[in-house]
Parts: sequence; structure tokens; C-alpha cells
Amino acid sequence: MILLTGGTGFLGVHIAAYLLEQGEKVILLARSKQGFSAADRVGRLLDWLGVGPEARKSVRVAEGRVDQIGLGLETAALSSIGPAIDEIVHCASSTSFAERKRAEVEAVNLRGLEHVLDLAERNGCRCFHLISTAYVAGLNPGYCPEEIVHPAAFTNVYEETKCRAEWLAAERCARAQIRLSIYRPSIVYGHSETGRSLLFNALYYPVRTTLFLKNLYETDIRERGGRRAAEMGVRVEADGWTFMPIRIRVQEGAGINIVPVDFFVRAFGAIREGADGGVFHIVNSRLTKIEDTIEYTKALFRIRGITACPEQEMEGKPRNALEAVFETYLEAYGHYMRDRRIFGTERSGPILAGKGLRCPGLTYSIFKRCLDYAVDCDWGRKLF
Amino acid sequence: MVKADDAVLKTAAQCRHYAMCKIEYLGTGLCPPGKRYHYVSYYPQGRMDLYAALSENLIPVTEGLVHIAETCTLCGVCDLQCHFVTGLRPLKVMEALNNYVADYLKDGGKPVSIAPDESLRRLQNIVGPEWASNDPAVLVTYANDPFPLADRRMPRYVVLPGTREEVASVVRLANELGLPYAVRGNGGSVFGFVFSEGIVLDMQRMRTIAIDKDNWSAAVGPGVTSFELQEEAFRQGFRVNTAEPAATVCGNIVCTGTFSTWSYAYGTAADGFIDMEFVNSRGEIFRLNDKQAPNVFAFENAVIPAPGICTEATVKLQPTTADEDGVLVPFWDFDEAVALARELGRRRIGLAVAVLGVHYIANFMSPSKLLADRLKDVLPETLGIRYVVFAIGDRFARKSIHELAGAVIDSSLWRTLTLGLPRLLDQDWQDLVKGFEGGRPPYETLCRPEMRPLIEAALCPSPETLAGAVEEDLRELYAGLYSQPRFTDMTWLNMFRIVSSRMSRRKHMFAFLVYVPLDRNDVINHINTEFGRIAEAQGLDHDFGFLTPMDLGKRAILEYDYYIDHTDPAERAKIGRAMVEIGPWLDGLAERTKGVTFLKYVFSQGCSRKENFLYR
Repeated sequence: MILLTGGTGFLGVHIAAYLLEQGEKVILLARSKQGFSAADRVGRLLDWLGVGPEARKSVRVAEGRVDQIGLGLETAALSSIGPAIDEIVHCASSTSFAERKRAEVEAVNLRGLEHVLDLAERNGCRCFHLISTAYVAGLNPGYCPEEIVHPAAFTNVYEETKCRAEWLAAERCARAQIRLSIYRPSIVYGHSETGRSLLFNALYYPVRTTLFLKNLYETDIRERGGRRAAEMGVRVEADGWTFMPIRIRVQEGAGINIVPVDFFVRAFGAIREGADGGVFHIVNSRLTKIEDTIEYTKALFRIRGITACPEQEMEGKPRNALEAVFETYLEAYGHYMRDRRIFGTERSGPILAGKGLRCPGLTYSIFKRCLDYAVDCDWGRKLF
Repeated sequence: MVKADDAVLKTAAQCRHYAMCKIEYLGTGLCPPGKRYHYVSYYPQGRMDLYAALSENLIPVTEGLVHIAETCTLCGVCDLQCHFVTGLRPLKVMEALNNYVADYLKDGGKPVSIAPDESLRRLQNIVGPEWASNDPAVLVTYANDPFPLADRRMPRYVVLPGTREEVASVVRLANELGLPYAVRGNGGSVFGFVFSEGIVLDMQRMRTIAIDKDNWSAAVGPGVTSFELQEEAFRQGFRVNTAEPAATVCGNIVCTGTFSTWSYAYGTAADGFIDMEFVNSRGEIFRLNDKQAPNVFAFENAVIPAPGICTEATVKLQPTTADEDGVLVPFWDFDEAVALARELGRRRIGLAVAVLGVHYIANFMSPSKLLADRLKDVLPETLGIRYVVFAIGDRFARKSIHELAGAVIDSSLWRTLTLGLPRLLDQDWQDLVKGFEGGRPPYETLCRPEMRPLIEAALCPSPETLAGAVEEDLRELYAGLYSQPRFTDMTWLNMFRIVSSRMSRRKHMFAFLVYVPLDRNDVINHINTEFGRIAEAQGLDHDFGFLTPMDLGKRAILEYDYYIDHTDPAERAKIGRAMVEIGPWLDGLAERTKGVTFLKYVFSQGCSRKENFLYR
């Protein structure tokens, strides 16, 4: 029996579906939220993923939360679940970068992990799978090895707590003789074949922002005389395309390391089967350049005027309000968007290659598929 | 007995008695019969109480009630006035009351005539026949208030004196007749104190304001409200440190001393006035500046009676400059907000300063409860704002605040956010703003000057945009109000405090005020935590209110608020249990901690020197 935490999260539910397809018996730990019970939430997500009735017979939902001692489970539930667990896949995580939410992030990413490890130790669990992130590397430039690291500094509280979580898991699993596998994906986006996704941040956010601005100024032109659009130099051209003068800072040779969720899940499965514990990067060997996503966005949404601009050319020049939006985003996420680091794959590489797994690059067709899905589901508001 | 329409009765029962229907604060007129007859019963507030009283069979249809009903022309002035601060629509209650009386008479009912007794005749001899009454339709509107721990107490007489001599004569007569009395500045009561089984004196007719520019002072009668005095002072280029707009100036000084965000610069209690005139319990007139006057400047940490009935206060006028304006400095962390407020105090920057919580900000900005509730979530969740330091200052002060604080919401952005509020809450816009957040809170991005054109484009700020958030039939009126610059002018709003009653739109507010040492964050946090804990234990809604630095940032006044449905007996029981815990805890804390004084003990000692209760 496998206990999977974070059962309603983006990665958690995909891993759950994968494990069920493999014939595993899974207990999903999930919270109730917004009037939906944990079971309802899991049920809706499994429907969304198309998990069939047969596979669902092997899933059991436990309503609880990792940030509480005993995972917030009733004593009876805890004692019935505990002894049956052979393996734990710990996906539950707070992904907030906000320093102001440090207490909440630490509660989930550190104390939550401790509570799950308590359960693992108490019940003689054999294997512990920790879903971490490639960005535990912090502010370290250059090569990032597949091993426990101790960076001098981090970009944000998320990176910091995920790294500390690895230290904690390594120490406690070693002491309890539990086999520990740490999975470090880079940025995970939607399914490369269906475009399906639960989360629309990271890769999606700048595109969504572009569309927001496009709609905003088109509405201004259509309904309010277009004064504000004219102030920003935005216009709708004769062929229906929208011109938006936005320069986005880029750096030569830098880009974003992204992997589609289907690749991530297959990689997780391959490593789980093929490795005897350790640290594993699940990353893309090819960085996606911001310039490419700009061109994809323009083509897909019929926009002109957005240009990738080398950093030195923008140095000291004033930004318009539209550019300021993207600058702000890059201030917060530039570390990931203009990445040059190399994430080592000495451990994961051979395993994935052995299974014939290779991460696809972000082509226009994948981009289109993912963004069409995002727009169709109104950025997650109409998923179900 | 009224066959009450539940919805109408619910509105009537929800009247908070804040008396905003008794001041012309929107510039849209004042209830004509209230203005003419002065008794609370003739104002919408009294009519709400009358309808509720009829439904409980507390009073018969009297001649007084018939007159009250017949003088209401259903002009509708009260509907916008009340809605602006409470969200209630009293016009339907006015209609229901009129209909009830009309139906009663149509069905051949005879109004009860209440014969005057000897005491009433003597009271009428003093104040004139029109200004003393024993009609139950008048009495019942002076018999209760929303304070949950006070029971209804019907007075025998309500008297509206017109001069200090009349006040003195009424007091002497009350003594002679052995009748207790209570005094109401504006006829209203909120905290359950001003009830009497004998006489209630309503000072509403004593409304003189005499500005003495050369002496920087204004002599005001006890029926003058804060709003009215501020309006007159403002017209002549001055400012007064006043309290809630419908509260009377004299009543407020005597009760607790005037504290407001302006107390940051102007002080409180004895700082606010030059002289005051009283009628003492023997019916003698004295002024504080008399050498023989009682020493009201001293303070005793106990509940003691007021020095008498204030019949005039000569209050200080303060200078203003043309470049005064407001700023808000957003914060996630309370201690950081307090640190800035303290720093401003130490450096003597600005004229009015307060740390405000999100409940205040959300309600100040929002013309409807629904919008306020949503904004209250959005401010912390989306924008990362849990507190703001609010400040008014001239251009030099604002520049300094900007330098000290970094990200600020200036008056132009405030206006944009207020007038574009419904769109600020749009999910698409929120999602966009959330994405700004990396390590730093999103409000910092929002405050960047280069973002202004985008914010303007996204929010489409206009009186019409904001008015879209209220009921359709009120939209034009709201758009008209918000097209006036003063309705989004932080300085004007803070001087006249017309939106402060919005705090209670959700439920009746039960405010706890404590003077605190501003350099003791541990004490301040303990007080907030403990108020929160006690409220949680009783299942009461609660929120931090505000904190205003005083005396160069050495001390502050802190407000923590509980919110209760005052019509619900279960809520009343909860607040009763909470009070049992709060009293001894705060008394103990004050005993152990220099600088802590519960405002309860300043009641009736509002004329004292602030130093006597701030530095005990």
C-alpha cells in the first residue's frame, strides 16, 4: 500500500493516477476545501484525468492535512492506515514564494514533512519518495549535482524550505533505514499531448498577462473610445491583429527549464522502479528561450509589437506601463526565466534513457495545445 | 400591535442609533420633521424604534405618534443617508409606520391622549410646552440602544432645554422632585449609559457655534455635532479635533475626551478645549476657568460621575495648509506598521496618523457590505495588505513618509482604487496581481508610479464604476456623491469621519479602547492576541481596529472591536461572558504595565489632562 500526500495537487494527482494504472493500492491524503470533501475533490480530479472505475477500486481517500500532528487523522484511522503502508510518496507542498507567507510555507514544507516521516518511522515504512525541486540549488550558478546540496543563499522561501526538507528527510530516513528517493523536477507544465493542466503559473503567467492586456485595451478601443489604448500605443490593425509595444528583457543563451507533466510522471515511475534511492533531477536538457515563447504567443494570439530585447539595449531606458508589468514579473521569476544552470543527470539520465524517456522541447504545437487548453478552461476556472 | 412585515421589522431592529440621519453629512438634505421638532422620535432613528416598539406592543397609538407619523412626507432623504453607512433602507420602515397609523385611524381607532401631570407642567413652564413630553411615542425612543448589556429603561419625561438657564432650572426641579436624570447630547445613545427612569435631557436645541478667529477658538453649544462644528471651522479655514460626526462636541469631551487620528498632533482630553461651562448637580453654573471650579483636570482610575451637564465648550481651532493630503503605507506585518507609526511620532512627521486593520480599510472604501467583505479577503490574500499606516500631512511630511516607507498609496492612487473598486475585485485582475508576487508583496508593484496607467486602464475608476456596486435604484445617487472630490479626499474624509460608521455595517460594533505604551510591541501584541482569544472562545466576530500614536509616539490609543448582532440574545450572552473575562484581565494588565489605561476609566473624565492617564 502506498500513501500519497498532496493528493489533490498538480503533481500528486498525476502520480496517483499513474500508480493506480500500475495496479498499486493507494491511500490519498487530501484536505477538504471550499465545501468539497477530500473524497469529492479527489473524485473530481480522477474523473478529469479519466481514471477508470477498475483502477479506482484501489484508491482510498483519507481526509487529513500534513501540517497537523498525526496528519490530522483520527486515531482509529491512523492506526488502521499506518501498518498497511509500505511506501510513501510525499507530494504535499506549499509552492508560495512569498516571504510574508513563510510561517505557512514552513508549516507545510518542513513540519508537514516531519509529520509524514513520523508516520513512516512508526510503521516501518520501507521507501520514502520525496517530491522536491531542481531549485533547491538556490543561488548557486553553474553545475547543480544530483546530491544533497548546501547552497549559501536562496531566491525565496520556497527554495529554502524545499532544500531544508531534503536535509531533514535524508537525516531521518538514514537513521530509520528507510530508502529515500528525492525527485527534483524543474518547472512542470501541462500534458504535452493533451495540453491538460491544473496549474497555470510559471510558463503560463506571462502569456496570460499578455492576453489580459490585449483584452483590456481591445475593450477600451471597442467600448470606450480607445483613449487609454492610444496612451499606451496599443492599436488594432486593419487585419485584426493587435499591436502592443512591449520590450521584454532577455539574456543571450539563457532560458527556462520546463518539463511537461506527462514526462515528469513517466520519469517518476521509471526512477521509482529502477533506482535504489538517491537524488534525481527530472529536467529538460534543452532550455526554452523567452524569445521562442514570445514568438509563439504572438502567433497564437495574433499580436504584434512584442519584442525580445537584449538587456544591454534596455539599460537605463524608461519602461512603459506594459513593460513594467513584465519587468515586475521578471524581478520575481527572472531567476527561473533566464536560467543558465546545468542540472546534472548522471543518476536519472541512464534510468530514463533505459526506458526510452526523453523530455520534449517546447515546440509551437505543444505550446498551442497547452495554451488552447488553458484558455478553454479559463485558466483553471472551468476545469470540471 | 403591528402585523409586522418581517423584512421591515428586521430593518427597524437593526438601527444602530449612530444618528447619522440627524446630520446633513451627504449634502442631500436632512429629515424635515426631525429638523423642526428635534425629538429623536421625529428622526428616522426614532421612527425605526417606534415601529419596533409597536411590533412588541410596547406603546399604544398616541396623539404624539399620530403627529410623528403625519409629519413624515416620505421624502426619502433618510434612505441614502442610512444606506451610505449602514446599508439599511429605512424608507420602507417610514412607510410601514405611516401606513400602520393611517390604517389605525381609518379603522376608527382613537389615539390615546396622555394627560400632563404636575411635574410635566412644571418642566414645560421652564422649557416651553413644546419641549417637554411624557408621550410614550417620544419616551420609547429614549429608552434603549443597541448596547447589548443594557435593558430598556423608559423615562418619565423627555426635555429639550434651549438655554443653560433652562438646564439649571430643570436640574433644580429634578432635585426637588427627587427625579433622576440623564443627559444626551444629540438625543442618541450607543453604549448603554444614558438612560433614566426620570428625565432624559436632550440637548439638541442648543446648537450655537461662535467662532473667535483671533482667539483660535469656537464656543459650541451642547447640541452641536462634530460634523457641524467641523463644517463651520472648515468653511473658515480651520480644523477642529472632533469625534464621530453625529456625536456632540461637548458630550464627547465630557465622556472620554476627543480622540481621533488627529490626536496624534492635537492631543486629547484637556488638550482640545480652552474652557467649558457646566451646570452642576445642584443646578449651579460654573466654568472650568473659574478659580473656584472643581479640579476636573485630575484623573482617577475609577468610574466616577461627570462634573455636571456641559452647556458650552470653547474648543481649539487648528491651522491648516493648502497642501495637506493623505497617504497610506501598506504592510503585511503588524510590528512593522507600528514601528513606522512610532517613528513618525518621534520625528513629528504629519498631522494625523493611525495603523488601521483591513476591516477598516475595506469598509472605508466600500459602498456596500458585499464589496467590503470581498475586499477584506482580497487585501491580504491578493495584495499582501493586512495593515496600513494612514497619515495626513503637508507635502514635506508626505515626502518624508515616502522616504521612510518606500511603497505608499498616495491620494491619487487611493482615488483610483476607490472609484475602481468593483474592478479591483475582478478575478482576472486579481490573478494578474497575484502573479506579481515573488519575495516581495504585490502591493509594492501596485504602488509603482509606472504602473499607474495600467491600473487606470484596468479599473476604469469613475463614480459610475463604484456606484455599480450598490442597488440599481441608488446608483445615480451614489454616482452623484462620488463625483464630488471630497468623497475620495482622504483629508476631508478623515476630518469629517463620515465613513467611520461603516465599520458597523456588518454588525453592531462593540469597541474596546485602551491607551498603550507605543514602545512596547509585546504589550500591544498581547492585548490584540488576548482580545482575539476571548472573542474566539465565545464565537464572536472580532478584528483589530486602529492604533493612533500620541504624545510624540510615546503612547497610543488602541481599538479592538467585537461585532455582534445586537438583536440576537445568544450574541448578547456571548458578549456578557466575554466582558466577565476582559474586565479583570485589563485591570490586572493596567496595574502591572505603565502606560496601559482602559478607556472605561476615562469615561466622564474626558476633561482631565491626558498626562494624568497616559503616565500613571
